[in-house]
Amino acid sequence: MLNNHKGNSMKKTLKLLALTAALAVTGAAASSAETVKVGIAAEPYPPFTSPDANGNWEGWEIEFMKAVCAEAKLDCVVTPVAWDGIIPALTAKKIDMIIGSMSITEERLKTIDFSDKYYNTPTGVIGTKGEDIKPTPEGLAGKTLGVQVSTVHQAYATKHFAPAGVEIKEYQTQDEANQDLAAGRLDAVQADAIALDAFLQSDQGKACCDYKGDVAPDVDVLGPGVGVGLRKGEAELKEKINAAIQAIRENGTYEAFSKKYFDFDIYGG
Amino acid sequence: MDSFVNWSLLALSAPGWGGLLLQGFLHSIEIALGGYALGLLLGIGGAFGKLYGGPVLRDLLECYTTIVRAVPELVLILLLYYAGTDLLNQLLGLLGLGAVDISGLMAGIFVIGVVQGAYSTEVLRGAIKAVPAGQIEAARAYGMSPAKVLRRITLPAMLPYAIPGLSNLWLIATKDTALLAVVGFAELTLVTRQAAGATKAYFLFFCAAGALYLALTLVSNLIIGFIERHARRCFVEQR
Repeated sequence: MLNNHKGNSMKKTLKLLALTAALAVTGAAASSAETVKVGIAAEPYPPFTSPDANGNWEGWEIEFMKAVCAEAKLDCVVTPVAWDGIIPALTAKKIDMIIGSMSITEERLKTIDFSDKYYNTPTGVIGTKGEDIKPTPEGLAGKTLGVQVSTVHQAYATKHFAPAGVEIKEYQTQDEANQDLAAGRLDAVQADAIALDAFLQSDQGKACCDYKGDVAPDVDVLGPGVGVGLRKGEAELKEKINAAIQAIRENGTYEAFSKKYFDFDIYGG
Repeated sequence: MDSFVNWSLLALSAPGWGGLLLQGFLHSIEIALGGYALGLLLGIGGAFGKLYGGPVLRDLLECYTTIVRAVPELVLILLLYYAGTDLLNQLLGLLGLGAVDISGLMAGIFVIGVVQGAYSTEVLRGAIKAVPAGQIEAARAYGMSPAKVLRRITLPAMLPYAIPGLSNLWLIATKDTALLAVVGFAELTLVTRQAAGATKAYFLFFCAAGALYLALTLVSNLIIGFIERHARRCFVEQR
């Protein structure tokens, strides 16, 4: 009886071993088809990324990510990370790339690498309705301006507006800055024009605020546009992403999903 | 806006956010339980080390409790989550092993466990010292081994003194989980912020989260009360 069992269990062990070996091989194969963890900011940032009630993420940038990953044959997984820790998360290999409306800047290029740009939109200022605010250092002097931390907007406001006597308040998420503007604690908010427009379209935005105009361009601070953030030294992945961005630009995919969100070309000149 | 509060946003399935909120709540409880259990283990070890250990061990434990209790938990979480993972992976790299991915859950349990361990070390040390020395001496006189003294005398006798402090720590652990929102882990607070941000129903969602935390505290109080009555069963009730 005991021997019999042993024979059986021997067979079982062998089967199990074969199975594990097979699994290990497919596991290795799966990882060579590259599972890529794509970091996005864990906050609602419409119309680019926002969570729905099922816990899924949607928006223009999610569609962009899917298109790029399909083109580059990468198995991409959306991984929400806190915005102000998104670069450390990339360098610590918690995520493999950032598709989070991150502008390409000199400062960031010191720590991480970027793909080619995939969109470029103007930077704008919104403010309380009826108040006389202009998106210039003089027009904002003495006012309180909200920006999101570690963004090009924070850098821009600190460089151009702070010396003119503008009080700058930093927020962890764009959503919180908008919320404080609606609550009256801020006079104005500076951010990406598209993201601000999405807020102005909401009931709350309609009620409180309007668009005050674009800020004067400063390519040193604002950068040439938004790119996919990558770790330094991953030339192969960068190559793939750049090729994929170009391919979806050329084959019309980019335009097709962009149309659902915008009535102009978000890629910029 | 037709009514002040749109309750349907809390429905359990989409388009309501209730299901997601409960999932976040579950994650919070998981972290709190895991962190607290780890903290208790560290605390028991730490307390005995501090009381009966050699001078080196005592000094090391003193450093641990002092540093961890001095640094804000938020800073510790950021430190361990970002720098800790990086360091670990570099170490593994040196040893020729592949990089590991520390999930938010694991990091959370670890951080809260380390923090709780420092506090519970002190709580347990105080409780052990409150056990009358005569009881332990008597146990030794009966010829009990140190392990048996620990199991049958020290631990049960110190429990009544430790429970108020430990139950405080548990309640603190449940709320410390909210700090993990800063690293983007989907526990109750982060989910609430996302839901509130996406729907603009800030009041509703933050109240809902508050109610969930309150419910957790109330249930915890019931259980703690039961454990405390059990531990103090041989005490004469003094008021």
